[in-house]
Amino acid sequence: MKEAAYIVAGVRTPFCKMGTALAGADAIDLGRAAAAAVLARTGLDPAEIDEVIFGCVGQPIDAANAGRVIALRAGVPERVAAMTVQRNCASGFEAITQAAEKIAAGRGDIFLVGGTESMSRYPLLYGDRAAKKFGELAKARTAGQQLAALLRFRPGDFAPRVSLQLGLADPVCGCNMGQTAETLAREWRITRDAQDQFALRSHQRAAAAKPRLAEETTPVYPRGGGAPVSVTEDNGVRANQSLDALAKLRPVFEKRGGTVTAGNASQITDGAVALLVMSEGGLKRTGLAPLGRLVDYAYAGCEPARMGLGPVYAIARAEQRSGLGLKDAELIEINEAFAAQVLACRAAGESADFGRRQLGRAGALGEIPHEILNVNGGAVALGHPVGATGARLVLTALKELQRRRARRALVSLCVGGGQGGALWLEAA
Amino acid sequence: MNITRTPSADGTVILTFDRAGSAANIFDRATLEELDAHFTALENESGLRGLILASAKPKIFIAGADLNTLAQHADDSAALGEIVDLGHRVFTRLGRLPIPSVAAIHGACLGGGLELALACDWRVASTDKATKLGLPETQLGILPAWGGSTRLPKLIGLPQALGLILTGRQIAGAQALKLGVVDEVAHAEYLPDAARRLVARGKRRAARPSWLSRAPLSALVARRARRETLAKTGGHYPAPLRAIEVCMRAVGGPLEHGFALEKAAFLELVRSPECRNLVAVFFLQDRAKKLPSDPGISPMAVKRVAVIGAGTMGAGIAQWVSARGYPVRLKDVNPEALARGLHAIEQVYADAVKRRVFTLPEATAGLDRIVPIHTDVPLTGVDLVIEAAIEKLELKQQVFRELEARVGPDTILATNTSALSIDAIAAELARPERVVGLHFFNPVHRMQLVEIVRGPRTSARALDTALQFAKAIGKLPVIAKDSPGFLVNRILLPYLVEAVGLFSEGVPAAAVDRLMLDFGMPMGPLRLCDEVGIDVAQDVAKDLGRRLPDGVPINDTLEKMIAHSWLGRKSGRGFYVHPGRGGREAPNPETRFLQRARERRTPTAAAQLDRMVLIMINEAARVLDERVVDAPEDVDFGMIMGTGWAPFRGGPLRHADTLGAAEIVRRLDGLARDVAPHFAPCDRMRKMARDGRGFYSEPGTKPDAGSSSRRDDIPPGNGSAVLQPGSLARTEAPDDSGRAAPIEHAHPRSP
Repeated sequence: MKEAAYIVAGVRTPFCKMGTALAGADAIDLGRAAAAAVLARTGLDPAEIDEVIFGCVGQPIDAANAGRVIALRAGVPERVAAMTVQRNCASGFEAITQAAEKIAAGRGDIFLVGGTESMSRYPLLYGDRAAKKFGELAKARTAGQQLAALLRFRPGDFAPRVSLQLGLADPVCGCNMGQTAETLAREWRITRDAQDQFALRSHQRAAAAKPRLAEETTPVYPRGGGAPVSVTEDNGVRANQSLDALAKLRPVFEKRGGTVTAGNASQITDGAVALLVMSEGGLKRTGLAPLGRLVDYAYAGCEPARMGLGPVYAIARAEQRSGLGLKDAELIEINEAFAAQVLACRAAGESADFGRRQLGRAGALGEIPHEILNVNGGAVALGHPVGATGARLVLTALKELQRRRARRALVSLCVGGGQGGALWLEAA
Repeated sequence: MNITRTPSADGTVILTFDRAGSAANIFDRATLEELDAHFTALENESGLRGLILASAKPKIFIAGADLNTLAQHADDSAALGEIVDLGHRVFTRLGRLPIPSVAAIHGACLGGGLELALACDWRVASTDKATKLGLPETQLGILPAWGGSTRLPKLIGLPQALGLILTGRQIAGAQALKLGVVDEVAHAEYLPDAARRLVARGKRRAARPSWLSRAPLSALVARRARRETLAKTGGHYPAPLRAIEVCMRAVGGPLEHGFALEKAAFLELVRSPECRNLVAVFFLQDRAKKLPSDPGISPMAVKRVAVIGAGTMGAGIAQWVSARGYPVRLKDVNPEALARGLHAIEQVYADAVKRRVFTLPEATAGLDRIVPIHTDVPLTGVDLVIEAAIEKLELKQQVFRELEARVGPDTILATNTSALSIDAIAAELARPERVVGLHFFNPVHRMQLVEIVRGPRTSARALDTALQFAKAIGKLPVIAKDSPGFLVNRILLPYLVEAVGLFSEGVPAAAVDRLMLDFGMPMGPLRLCDEVGIDVAQDVAKDLGRRLPDGVPINDTLEKMIAHSWLGRKSGRGFYVHPGRGGREAPNPETRFLQRARERRTPTAAAQLDRMVLIMINEAARVLDERVVDAPEDVDFGMIMGTGWAPFRGGPLRHADTLGAAEIVRRLDGLARDVAPHFAPCDRMRKMARDGRGFYSEPGTKPDAGSSSRRDDIPPGNGSAVLQPGSLARTEAPDDSGRAAPIEHAHPRSP
């Protein structure tokens, strides 16, 4: 890239399962907690920030530009602009790559970026038919008109539509995310057992990584409760997870013959991440030391019904741009939307046929070794707050690079709607 | 020139108050006479359609009458009576002008200012936060006597009028509209238009008074108000009682009848010691707000603050400071302690929202300004650190060592210690001169006093920064030397110990407390021990005992209570049983064994009172002798603001002067002979008795109501500079949880 983008520091909230410890906080509260913490930990004067960019998929209804609200509430001066970006599951990536693009274009040196999601707070919606009737009721002037408007309602009108469910379905291919994972499992022959094994390993690795993960988290103190609460840890990780327990779970998306269960899919989770991205000049100005550098990245599109293979397409595309391939990675993070989907990516990467036909290469994309893949666990154990995940992967990978004194990490994820994103990071 | 007349094409005359060389408009004789001259001119003109009264000051309409006049003429009934008459005459003239008159109120409209507005046909108030209406006179021991006690009940009815007059409560425009004090509210920008619309309504016709304002119901209303006032003030404050009587008798009769009643009551009250002491306290507050800073020093402009420790004090300080707009890092190593602190802070804000001190977004913004941290983070961007960790010297020294490594070169390091030596805390630092004491009182959001403690090595810059910061966050500072207990605890502790002594001699806890409540304290000493915590009280007493040359005569009562885990409110049991929410407190029946059987020669109530009160005076004399503070004013101010020491008595030293040094020495000698040697009067007391002097009659320490604290150079934003309401609340902040005074630039019409 023309001008390097450095990732200076990052902090995230604990990731907590939907409806649990962080349910009282909305996406803004979570984003604010992470942003304020990263500013406090670095001591950066918020007046130095050029722009604030946050990824968020389900923005709170009362905060139309979540990034702006987070910025103001985290103490960033009013004159600093802010925006919210949405590339579905890659929204956290998008915040980082947007900042990098702006740095490359000479449009600022210091960016506060991140991602936030409160899956607990996805609203319930009324259908179009009910909404129309509410509109008529609001317009009714006389008591008679009001009564008439009221009488037009039917019990079915009041059944809410769950926006979270709607968000996790694809309007183009007509299937939900779990069904796309089932498709990949069938086509790439990923067995239930392989998926469960993978899920087990995710929990085991995350449990073992607890002290390491603690380095990247800041406690959250949700408000509005009756008693003092401090949320200090991720709560989705099951240290005592057994294969037996996983094997007992019923498939969620295809009741008969299905393989994807709640146990081998990512958890639905609340959480937020905040990072500082700076140019060379920004580093000099603040005197802060970077964690690492964004070397290059790519987003690629693919078939919505097989969105889980997005990483393979994105990694291939990034290689075309940067020349960096799987063999160059000392560490790989692929978001565990579904165990089946990550395993399908591995299989597709090793398939010469897939490489030729889908990626336009001479042969296979390459190997994704388990030993360096998601070494601190993944979304199956930690959860997947969609807007925040991309930023979490970058933060976790950079910290791990530092610990291993390793050089390069490849961070990738699949995106609902048929996309993939891949970022190449280099330790500072 | 204080008033400018502006004609306008439509025949409306605008009189604009703009006191020369002052941020505030106030009424003194000259201003009244100037106003009178304008009315004379208006009466003789034709073709006029209406009169609008307005102010050119950004935050003050009219702040009230000039208190210096009051202080100067306190003994001259004739002169004061003349001023009362002048006000009545001028305001009545306003009401009887042939053209309609409107008060266009923006900013503080208090006392005489509101009485002027009440004499107009109509009133419109701006929606601005600076706009406050109220009659605070009773809080100064007098009553509204320029027609306020007569016109307000006639306008809004007796019960509502008493609600304002007896409390001195200041209300916003919207509330004033609801009560009928004003007829309209408007944004400040539209105030002139709104006033013109009111002019167009013509003269106001007097409304028929409601049943509650007429006999016999008015007598019932008055009786009820009297009962409630007595319950609240313990009968120590005559002004509200006289105000009730005047309002009740004035509401049904002609204006002149009411004016005569007002005047008689005013002249009687103004001579009372309560009034003199309350006015003196007002000037003490004013003095604290203007504590001069060293002209050669440029204090650190504090923009960011860190508070170390999220316990009761740390959380309280963080709440208050955040509410005044400062970003605060709240550090505690323990996330659970942070959670408790943040929860407490959230509750203070929630209560403030409930009382409409803050809007919900304002409270959220305040909470957001507090960033909790539990790891070591750089504090180089922080200008002031306030340490509020537990009171252990080694721990505090360690905290300060770590802080020194983490803060910038200019950061001021303050400690909220109430007991430890500033110098000892700073001892191990490379730069001990940047350490200063900043001692807040609990609960921080209600107690206005802050002791600024100067260690022997504290730099002028550190001291001045602390002083300016205390003022900037709306606290009232008193500067004290680094010595055991500083000012307030030094004087309070011997009193608490004495109260415990009386208890162990067999006087029931409730009787001890009743005695001091009747004296005018907001809370009895043993109740206070329970509130503070028996263990904390004992710790402080022991610490003072160790460090003071004269020691503190501690007995083992508190120690025995601690052994029983009776730690006061926090453990549910102390001298009293605290049943928690809703339950009533009762004396702890199990404490009987701590009391000696009452001896035959139980001290009389008078002797008990002397033991508790005179010991404070004796200690205060030592405090002055050791130059812990500079002046007797500091002692009285500190004790009234820090402990609620009976304000109507003017503080311990003013009270001492009332008793007379010779009498105090005589009684102390008697106590030293009959009770215990520690009552022996100190050298300074004896010398004062010999010389026939008082604390305030020493050369150079005369209480000055004069030039140095003139009423009219109140800094902007303090137009409401009156003592706050009676009883428990009287030493407390106006219950604002840190509500910022309206900020300078907030007003579009800055001068």
